[in-house]
Amino acid sequence: MSVLSVAKKDFLDIRRSKSVWIVSGLYALLVVFLFYLGRSGTSEPNVASQLSALASVGLPFIPIIALMMVYLAIAGERESGSIRYLLSLPNTRRDIVLGKYLSRGAVGASVILAAFGVGAVTAVLWYPSLEPTVFAGVAGLTVLLTLAYVSVAIGISAATGSRSRAMAGSIGFYIVSTLMMLLPTFSIVAALKYVLNGRLELGLSDHLFEFLRMLSPTIAFRKAFPLVVPSDIETFMTNGDPSAPAYLAPEVALVILVAWLVVPAVFGLWQFNRADLG
Amino acid sequence: MPAIETTALTKRYGEDVIAVDDLDLTVEEGEVFGFLGPNGAGKSTTINLLLDFVRPTEGSATVLGYDVQREPKTIRSHIGVLPEGATLYERLTGREHLEWVIDNKGSDDDPDDLLDRVGLEPEAAARSAGGYSKGMAQRLGFAMALVGDPDLLILDEPSSGLDPTGMQELREIITAEADRGTTVFFSSHILGEVEAVCDRVGIMNDGRLVATGTLDALRENLDLAAAISLDVERVPDALVADLETHEGVHSVTVDGSTITISCATTPVKYDVVTQVGAATTVRDIVSEDTSLERLFNTYTNGEQSGESDADAGLADVETEVSA
Repeated sequence: MSVLSVAKKDFLDIRRSKSVWIVSGLYALLVVFLFYLGRSGTSEPNVASQLSALASVGLPFIPIIALMMVYLAIAGERESGSIRYLLSLPNTRRDIVLGKYLSRGAVGASVILAAFGVGAVTAVLWYPSLEPTVFAGVAGLTVLLTLAYVSVAIGISAATGSRSRAMAGSIGFYIVSTLMMLLPTFSIVAALKYVLNGRLELGLSDHLFEFLRMLSPTIAFRKAFPLVVPSDIETFMTNGDPSAPAYLAPEVALVILVAWLVVPAVFGLWQFNRADLG
Repeated sequence: MPAIETTALTKRYGEDVIAVDDLDLTVEEGEVFGFLGPNGAGKSTTINLLLDFVRPTEGSATVLGYDVQREPKTIRSHIGVLPEGATLYERLTGREHLEWVIDNKGSDDDPDDLLDRVGLEPEAAARSAGGYSKGMAQRLGFAMALVGDPDLLILDEPSSGLDPTGMQELREIITAEADRGTTVFFSSHILGEVEAVCDRVGIMNDGRLVATGTLDALRENLDLAAAISLDVERVPDALVADLETHEGVHSVTVDGSTITISCATTPVKYDVVTQVGAATTVRDIVSEDTSLERLFNTYTNGEQSGESDADAGLADVETEVSA
């Protein structure tokens, strides 16, 4: 009841935010642009491979969209003081965190689904077949990734007391989880491997380091991708290693991704519950 | 059951800063209680503690009989709050703010009634709150606090940003709410509004409650018998010296043909008037009441020298002030 009331009001507020509309518009444009490229580049346009391309090219943008829409959800209200109105009403701190998560998650999912909707229209117009299962699968996985970053941003926003700290936290998390993870040879994990195996000569297996990399929601999304695309496209993704142990399976990646939906938000709530909001 | 009761409530920030120090405060049901003190005295921190925005270092507090830390949600459903310095949601209209509060509290108030009560025009309520003046924002905040017919109103600096008309209306609303049986607890550093509406006041200074009681009781307790001014034909020098040595006279100031004498107790006034009358011709006498400002300053600056109690809470106060 309170959670819904908080969510409803927040939704009313956020949907009037210009930046949300601009970012959503840009992402939809990117989707359309990629589908356009996929049609004109080859004689045999294929929706599934184009969706894979979208998952690669569009990937770094998803965390940005989610973090940008959410990082001020709670920290911004603490800084402006409007959280006093929220907390003067019959809402607990938990109601506020959950309500914000609900509304921002709904907005984030809508942005992604709207872009995929526009993409579906162009696919129907420009491609021989829509391949709805693959399409829905990629859209669904992308929504999961978005929600994972919404959860991260809610967690950061709930745990910090000011706009600047929430922004620093979000940017920091983006750099660590995405920019410094995406390329295996230039990742933090590669640096760790250099120290542990190269210097300390521990001789740890490459699979273990790949698992560490998979703990990033961005990488977990990529590793889970084979679950939603046909196997001929899967080879395009890097995860074709038949000797890979079970803990690198796409199913495990999916579980990690889903865990990101919960853990950061719970951490944020725990911090927010203890905080002095003076 | 008191509307608000705090027991040894203490809030420290770090090692050195004590925002609220061992506060024992009781606000009875149905009274209008003015919570006074200069900026930084600990008023807002106390209110934040009552609303569970901040957690006490020591001590406890109840609001409407519920523990502030254990049952904040129950408390919030029975109170109305006007927070200090809180900005509105700039993308929502005034009416949307009210509709949200009504929905959140599950009440059946009519937004138009509330807007009317606080004097906010319907056209203004249809605009985004981002463009509101401070006075309009304060009126809307007040309307939000009134939603759901609360048993207790907690108003943090309610008059800030209001023009004289707004302040007059604010007093009328507070009085009307009090007549309906609502307990009103409001903080202020402006004293004029307090005198008009409060049954009782508490004065905070440096995190401590330095006095509680009715204004009359506090005034009496302080023996601030105030000043008496006499307009005279001429001012003999010897008279001024005589007056200054008179027992019970604090100070004598001469401005042209006016002698102003500050007395420790009221009966001294008669003595000095007689004395002046014997020395020169008195054209006019003005006896001034203890001003509220003066009363306030006395408590918060530690000039107090009185001995009697305004009420029980004052006893340890005086030790505090003279210490």
